[in-house]
Amino acid sequence: MASYILRRTLQAIPILFGVAIISFAIVQLAPGSPIDRFRSPNVRPETLENLIRLYGLDRPVYEQFVNWFSTFVQFWRTDAWGYSLVDGRSVRDTVVDRMPATLLLGGTALIITIILAVPIGILAAVRQYSWADKAITTFATIGYAIPSFLLGLYIAYIGTVVFRGAFPGFGMVSLPGVEGRGTPLDVAWHMVLPVTSLAIQQIAGWSRYVRAKMLEVLNQDYVRTAKAKGLSAAKVTYKHALRNALIPVITLFGLTLPGLLAGAVITESIFSWPGLGFLGLQAVTQRDYPLVLAFVMVGGFGVVLGNLLADVLYGVADPRIKY
Amino acid sequence: MVSDANAAEIERRRLEEAAADSAEIDRTPVRTYWQLVRQRFLKHRLAVIAVIVLIVLATYAIVVPTVTGDAWRETQLFRDDAPPELFNEDGDLTFAVLGYNEQGQNLFARLGKATQTSLTIGLAAVVLIVMIGVFIGSIAGYVGGWIDNLLMRFVDVMLSLPGLFIILMITAFFGQGNVWVVIIAIGLTGWTTAARLVRAEFLSLREVDYVQAARALGASPQRIILRHMLPPALAPIVVAATLGIADSVVVESALSFLGFGIGRDGASLGTMLQNAREYFFSGPLKVLYPGVVLILIVLSASFLGDGLRDALDPRQRVEK
Repeated sequence: MASYILRRTLQAIPILFGVAIISFAIVQLAPGSPIDRFRSPNVRPETLENLIRLYGLDRPVYEQFVNWFSTFVQFWRTDAWGYSLVDGRSVRDTVVDRMPATLLLGGTALIITIILAVPIGILAAVRQYSWADKAITTFATIGYAIPSFLLGLYIAYIGTVVFRGAFPGFGMVSLPGVEGRGTPLDVAWHMVLPVTSLAIQQIAGWSRYVRAKMLEVLNQDYVRTAKAKGLSAAKVTYKHALRNALIPVITLFGLTLPGLLAGAVITESIFSWPGLGFLGLQAVTQRDYPLVLAFVMVGGFGVVLGNLLADVLYGVADPRIKY
Repeated sequence: MVSDANAAEIERRRLEEAAADSAEIDRTPVRTYWQLVRQRFLKHRLAVIAVIVLIVLATYAIVVPTVTGDAWRETQLFRDDAPPELFNEDGDLTFAVLGYNEQGQNLFARLGKATQTSLTIGLAAVVLIVMIGVFIGSIAGYVGGWIDNLLMRFVDVMLSLPGLFIILMITAFFGQGNVWVVIIAIGLTGWTTAARLVRAEFLSLREVDYVQAARALGASPQRIILRHMLPPALAPIVVAATLGIADSVVVESALSFLGFGIGRDGASLGTMLQNAREYFFSGPLKVLYPGVVLILIVLSASFLGDGLRDALDPRQRVEK
C-alpha cells in the first residue's frame, strides 16, 4: 500500500511538470509584455529596461521557466509564487487568504450533496420505474444538462427577485454598517444561494451515479441468494447491496476535489463569492500573470491529488483490489 | 409395398417442409446495416424528439436572421421593453413575438442570431476537436510504443489542466471577442476524449486479420489508417462528436456570459444572458428565452448522442 502511494505520487510529478509547462507557454505566447502596464510617456526608457532586467524578461525562455518553476515549488516561502502585478501582494499569501472561503463554499455543498444524493439514488434504484424513480431521473437528467452558469443565474434570479431579496446574491458578508456583519449567521445567509446552485448540480450527477451502481449490485447473484434465504428486504438492500454500491462513489470524491480546492470559477463569479475561483477570473481579466499561473497550478494539483485520493480510497474500501 | 408408399409419403412431406422453410427465409427481408441503424434509432423515442428539436432550432437559426436582417442589433430607443408584436404600428412585419429588450432590440430576431452564433461556434469547435483527436489518437494507436506512451502522458497532462480556466486564459490573452480564438481555444482543450477513443479502437484493430493482410500486401500506413482502420472506428467518433456539441455550445455561452467570448457587438446565448442579468427586475422573461434554447440544445445533443450510440453499434439487436 505504502509503496503504491509512493509510486503514484512519483507518477504525479511529471504530470504537474507538464501542467506547469503548458500554462507557462500560454503566458509566454500571449501578445504583449508584463511591463506594458508601466509604459507611459512619463516613464523613461531606461526605467523600462531596468524593469525588464528586474523581472528577468531579457533571459532566454527556458531559463525564465526554470527560474519560475524552481522558485514555485518552494511554496513555504512567501515570495515563492511571485508578487501580483496589480497590487504587489505576495501571490501565495493571496491564494492562502482566499482558500478558506472556497473550502467553506465547496465543502458545505459537498456535505449537502452526500446527505441528499445517496438516499435519493437508493430510492430511485430500489423503486425502479416507479413515479419516484421517474421524477428523480428526470430531475437528474435536467440538472445534469443545465450549464452551471445558467443554473447560478436562475438561482440568483429566484433568490433576489422571486423572494424579493430574502437571500443575498452578492458577496460573503453584508455591506459595512449592516448589523451583525460577518457573524456566522450572516455568512450562512450569504451562502444559501451559491451553495444551492453548486449542490443541485452535484446532487444531479451523484444521484444518477448512485442509482446506476445500486441497480448493478441489486441484479447480482448474491443479492438474489440473500433474498432467497429469507432475509428481510431492508437487510438485503441496506446491508448487502448498499455497501458494495457505495464503493464506486468514492471516485466521485476524487472528481469533486479540484473544484473544492480551486473553486468553482463560474458560480463564485456569479455570486461574487470571495474565493479562489473568483480571484482566478479577476486575475485573467487583469492579466495578473503570476496569479494566473498560481491558479492553474493549484487547479492541476487538485486534479492530480483527487485522482490519487480516489484510487487509494478505492483500494482501502474494496478488499478485492490488490496493489 | 406398404413400406414403399410410406417412404414416398415421408419423402414428399420432407420436400414440402423444406420448400416452406426456404419460402419463409425468402419472406424474411434482408436488412442492410443502415436499415438496422434506422430501425434501432427510431426505437429511441427521446433521440427522435431530439432530432426534431435540433432541426427546428437550426431552421430558426438560419431562417430568422436571414429574414429579419439587421433587426437583431438595431436599437429602437422608443421601443425599449416594448411588448410582443407581430406587426408594428405602420403595419410592417417585425416578427417581434418575444418583445423588445431595454435597448429596443427585437428579441426574437436577436435570439435567432444568438442561436446561430452559438450553434456555429459549437459545430466549428467540434470539427476541430475531432480533427485533432483523430490525428493524435490514430498516431498513438497505430504507431504504439514510446510515441503512444508520450502522447498518452500528454493527454494526462491536458486532463489535469483546469479546462475552462485555460480557455478563459487563451481567449483573454489572445484577442478577446474574436470568434476564431474562441473556437480554437475550445478545440485545443477538448480533443482528449476523442483521441483516447480513436487510440483504443486502433489498438484493437491493429491486430485484426484484415489489417494484417493489408499490411502484408504492402499497403502504406496512410492507406491502412484511412481505408481500413478509420471507417470501423467512425461510430464512436460520431457519438463523441455529437456529445461534444453540447459541451462546446455550453463552453462558448459560459465564455460569452463571463465576457470572454464573442464581444458585445455580436449576439450569442451567453451575451444575451449576461445582458438580461443586468435587467433582472425589469424583464425576467429575457433570462428565460436564451436559457431555454441553451438547455434544449444541450439536452437534444446528449439524447441524440445516446440514440446514435445504440443505433450505430452493430452488436445491438432490434427487438420485435
